[in-house]
Amino acid sequence: MQSIYLSLILFLPLIGAALTFFIKPREIARVVALVFSVIPLFITAMLFSRFNSDLGFLQFQFAENYTWISSLGINYSLGVDSVSMPLILLNAILCPLTIIYSWGEHKDANQYFALLMILQAGVFGVFMSLDFFLFYIFWELTLIPLYFLISIWGGPNKDYAAIKFFIYTHVASLVMLLGIFALYFSTNVNTFYIPDLLRAFAGIDDVMKVAIFLAIFFGFMVKMPTVPFHTWLPDAHVEAPTAGSVLLAGVLLKMGGYGLFRVLLPMIQDMGTYQGQIITIMAFFGVLSILYGTFAALAQTDLKKMVAYSSVSHMGFVMLGAAAFNVISVSGAMFQQFSHGLITAVLFMSVGVIQHNVHTRIISELGGLTKKMPKLSFIMMGGFMASLGLPLMCGFVAEFLVLTGSYLTLPVYAILAFLGIVATAGYHLWALQRAMFGSFNEKLGDIKDTVSYEWIPMGILVLLIIYFGFNPAPVSDIFQAASSVIPGVMQI
Amino acid sequence: MSFTCESLIPFAPEIILVIAALSIMIIGLFMETSSKKLLGYFSVVALLSSTAIIIAKGVYEVELTGLLAGSLSIDPMSQFFKLTFLLVSLLVVIASIKEFEEHSNQDEYYTLILLGTIGMMLVASAVDIVTMFIGFELASLSTYVLAGFNKNEPKNIEAAIKYFIIGAVSSTLLLFGLSYMYGLSGGLTNIDELANFFSMNTELLISPMGIMALVMMTAGFGFKMALVPFHMWAPDVYQGSPSVISALLAAGSKKMAFVAAFRVLLVAIIAMKVEIGILFAILAVVTMTLGNVVAVGQKSIKRMLAYSSVAQAGYIAMVFVVVTPEALTGGILYVMSHAFMKAGAFITVGAVCYVLLKQNSKAQDVDHIDNFAGLGKRSPFLAFSILVFLFALAGIPFTAGFVSKFILFLAVLKEGYLYLVVIAILNSALSLYYYARVVKYMYVLPPASDEKMSVPTPYVIAIVLAMFGVLAIGIVPEPFVNWATSAAEVLFY
Repeated sequence: MQSIYLSLILFLPLIGAALTFFIKPREIARVVALVFSVIPLFITAMLFSRFNSDLGFLQFQFAENYTWISSLGINYSLGVDSVSMPLILLNAILCPLTIIYSWGEHKDANQYFALLMILQAGVFGVFMSLDFFLFYIFWELTLIPLYFLISIWGGPNKDYAAIKFFIYTHVASLVMLLGIFALYFSTNVNTFYIPDLLRAFAGIDDVMKVAIFLAIFFGFMVKMPTVPFHTWLPDAHVEAPTAGSVLLAGVLLKMGGYGLFRVLLPMIQDMGTYQGQIITIMAFFGVLSILYGTFAALAQTDLKKMVAYSSVSHMGFVMLGAAAFNVISVSGAMFQQFSHGLITAVLFMSVGVIQHNVHTRIISELGGLTKKMPKLSFIMMGGFMASLGLPLMCGFVAEFLVLTGSYLTLPVYAILAFLGIVATAGYHLWALQRAMFGSFNEKLGDIKDTVSYEWIPMGILVLLIIYFGFNPAPVSDIFQAASSVIPGVMQI
Repeated sequence: MSFTCESLIPFAPEIILVIAALSIMIIGLFMETSSKKLLGYFSVVALLSSTAIIIAKGVYEVELTGLLAGSLSIDPMSQFFKLTFLLVSLLVVIASIKEFEEHSNQDEYYTLILLGTIGMMLVASAVDIVTMFIGFELASLSTYVLAGFNKNEPKNIEAAIKYFIIGAVSSTLLLFGLSYMYGLSGGLTNIDELANFFSMNTELLISPMGIMALVMMTAGFGFKMALVPFHMWAPDVYQGSPSVISALLAAGSKKMAFVAAFRVLLVAIIAMKVEIGILFAILAVVTMTLGNVVAVGQKSIKRMLAYSSVAQAGYIAMVFVVVTPEALTGGILYVMSHAFMKAGAFITVGAVCYVLLKQNSKAQDVDHIDNFAGLGKRSPFLAFSILVFLFALAGIPFTAGFVSKFILFLAVLKEGYLYLVVIAILNSALSLYYYARVVKYMYVLPPASDEKMSVPTPYVIAIVLAMFGVLAIGIVPEPFVNWATSAAEVLFY
């Protein structure tokens, strides 16, 4: 008897999407959407409580396996392990909150919610798939709803942003697909089952290994995104509706990092003589993203674009932590994925509220918003503080682990990354100071504060951020277990 | 070998269609235009029963060779393609019931479609070059007429004339090439015997005469498959013909050229044992690239679909480079997927044009992309169908296009043709651009008019069937892959 929980988590949002799509009145559509995204959250929470984090590398729980295309060795196989479990939880938490946040959506609300739920299902699929074919399918599936979210509900330059996002990430996925093909052929195991491919990876010749690694790495780098392949992200974020931005930064980018941990890190120990170069490449791109993202954020005049660049720099920590390749840094990188998912959601939601109520996001046109929007300011402060890495909030835990870990193996890069942290604090505080504090800009007129369906999800997120800052153990223990069983990772 | 009635039994599906075609022609003489719609239903029944017989006979492991003096055989390959052709014709006929309901020559229309289908089915079964050519001509002649069926439309006439002239020339080239094969081999027409003969006398194939024969055959098939540089006719003809006929041409008669080329050209390439892959590689690369690049700039949806069809032929042509069973499996599967996707796309576009013309009979260029603006609001069903077909053509997961591209590219890469796969993949990404543009028009731009569009039922049935095919291959590919594999094995025993 195979477990069915994962399939339930995966397909409930899709069923919900289909129902929502055909329910015209938005009052009903949004309730249906909420119900169908809350049920997966409950199932996920149940799985999380039953989850056993002591199992080793590639030991999957709640696994499901059905033959799909036997002649090519393609199966419908789902399963979770310590790498994926917290990310599934993250996705399950963010989606209902995003739907609540979008409660006031007026334009074709039924389609809007349906697309959000397809997006949710796609991300679940990526985090659960143990078969590369399936993985790739869900990986691509996430593009379509986001493309529509941007191009229908987006900002003024949405056409350009949507098509750029679609084509850019699609090309990257295709390069990754080439890598997957190459992996499939060179291992000769005639299966797309990821664990089997990873086990067989050691047996192929070194040059091929590097080629495969780089092809798949490219796919993940674009998704994360890593400088210099990040250019689609600021455009997509700036034009996307808030819910789209939240899910894009909150979970979609995490797919790239997840791929890094699931597929690429286990390959590193088999890289032989190339191991050093590979690690240098990863570390270089990681630090480049941290620094470039930070300084680009410092220069932004648009609040949302600033948050977008802050995502780039925060995802750089994921790459750096992975590159440092020891237990502390890798588990820190994994935790960074989780915490950044929560934090960036608050940031984008706050910016969304400002955009919605003040009708501008240009920092210099704002000013003194605390006076008119006390509730928003309070929550937004929480998000910004978490994002700049204030202790006792979960962003601090993650970045601390990454920096400590990478200092042990890659001290130079760690110090460079630390410079980035200083500037990170700078742009966050500077933006807060200009936009929220100081004297109120009277030209903005009368401004309403945030409404309940907006501040409740944001408040929940801030509480979670603080909770995981005080007590990271429930999640970080799992990541710790995950990183310590990745073959070849340095135990410290 | 004497001719008996028993020897015809395996060809019951074709014979049913022949009887139906002829009786429709005769009955049609005595019917009022208003009731001629019934003939459409009659054709549907004939096509369905023909399909049923083929499925009943089995499609995986059926093997009947040497039928009718060794000119025809029934094997998984022929069954596969016959079913593809029958299903495409079925879709086309169903969609036509509405489109041509007021046309006074409906009887001839259905007769021609059925005859064309018979021709295609003959080609699928033919293992003799003469029989194959006859099937080719039967299908071609019928479609020449169909392309110009709206004889009061100058565009239709132009398309038909162009198609006829190019088609006639290409048939001549093909026949010329085939006749050289006949001559070189000292009078053989059976493809298997020819293959045996030439694999023992390879020097004959690489003699000037042999090369001439191959070049002519490649050109002849190239025209029919619309490979660049023999593709010029396709955009004009697909754009000018009635949409349902474009569906038949792109999804049916073009695929007939593929099965013939698989049977003749591929066997010749195998027999030659000489590396001519590079020639076909150039052909394939140029075809897919030119098709996609030109498609980007098109304003007419039908013309865009035509160029995308050219590009897709380029992908399939990779089979001639990588002559392996796996690649042929991918190619064959691609043919079927493409038949569903393209037929569906053309029929849906046809439905849009039909409704637009109903709303405003003076409308010009109804397939212009501007007319598709806001289609998502005016007719969610049509917009969603086009979305599915276009995404399938672009190779987005859960559709037939993705599965067949996946398998084909996988097979090509397996033989180490990395550059081909990279080019194909880049092309695939490029194609997403112009497909996504149509999607943008349909869902993002404001509607050109607020008038809702109600879609006639026959169109809905045809579109739903095509969509079912696209999604079935996409979601449950296993049986189709196995089937294509056994079809491919026919040529590589």
